[in-house]
Amino acid sequence: MSLAKSVYSLLFKRTSTFAVTIMVGAVFFERVFDQGGDAIFEQLNRGKLWKHIKHQYEKEDE
Amino acid sequence: MHPAPAPYAQCRQGRSSHCKEPFAKKMMSLAARSGAFSPYLQATSYAVAGPLKALIPAVVVKGDNVLVDTKKPFLTPKAGVRFAHTDIKVPDFSDYRRPELLDPNKSSQESSESRKAFSYLVTGATAVVGVYTAKTVAAQFVSSMSASADVLAMSKIEVKLSEIPEGKNMTFKWRGKPLFIRHRSAKEIAAEEAVEMAELRDPQHDKDRVTNPKWIIVIGVCTHLGCVPIANAGDYGGYYCPCHGSHYDASGRIRKGPAPLNLEVPYYEFPDEDTVVVG
Repeated sequence: MSLAKSVYSLLFKRTSTFAVTIMVGAVFFERVFDQGGDAIFEQLNRGKLWKHIKHQYEKEDE
Repeated sequence: MHPAPAPYAQCRQGRSSHCKEPFAKKMMSLAARSGAFSPYLQATSYAVAGPLKALIPAVVVKGDNVLVDTKKPFLTPKAGVRFAHTDIKVPDFSDYRRPELLDPNKSSQESSESRKAFSYLVTGATAVVGVYTAKTVAAQFVSSMSASADVLAMSKIEVKLSEIPEGKNMTFKWRGKPLFIRHRSAKEIAAEEAVEMAELRDPQHDKDRVTNPKWIIVIGVCTHLGCVPIANAGDYGGYYCPCHGSHYDASGRIRKGPAPLNLEVPYYEFPDEDTVVVG
């Protein structure tokens, strides 16, 4: 509970620090959310995307 | 701590000194709020009959008397209840309360910061998602205004320079306009670099118009009214506009005629000796 208390008094108590927390949180959330979404998409489409099959065609060229 | 308001039953009997509002006053304020009906309501709410007969005798409904034993836990097993009224059964809201607040005998101040931290965490998480959504939507709209990849691919032209012999000018189509690429001879380069700036209408040194002096690359649109000039023609051996007789030199600078400005030099770069990429 001391963690929650210190988080509250450090970040949430003032509107200014709360807003900064939201902005910084949004930057990290964006990165995690976008990369997580891409990772899930590639997991679901494993073997169908160009970057998964690219090596098969590059060998024939060389 | 401030003493809690005494239960209603004590107030009525005048036993408690902490009653917030006398019972009769409450009834009076109800009667006063009823506007035109207030005299009739007063007649019913006072024990002593007034001069007016009650219009609606059933306005005051006598509720069930609930006897309050303040020693026993009242109505709710866990959380506390404020005894503002005795004639309504208060439902048990303890399922909806935070576990820190269930005990009415414990101070809520101790847990207030952790409760606030949770509330603000939920608010902040919602705001973070909202900011992300707003940013994504705004970025979508803004990026829809920029050129798409196929348009960007079409906006560049790559020219093999070895195909242009010395002293010749070649015309290409670039972004819907003619593009002149001229392979200048050493004599032409020397002549253009020697031109006095004072005699130019749009003063610009030849060095500022070329990257590699062997190649002069300009947009082939006359700066007068937009005709396409003819290469290797005119008094100065550069370009000549047949529409109104503007003469440009071998650096694409205006020397004679109505055009006000030099031929425009687009952005270009040489990836290697033999290629130029314009755009």
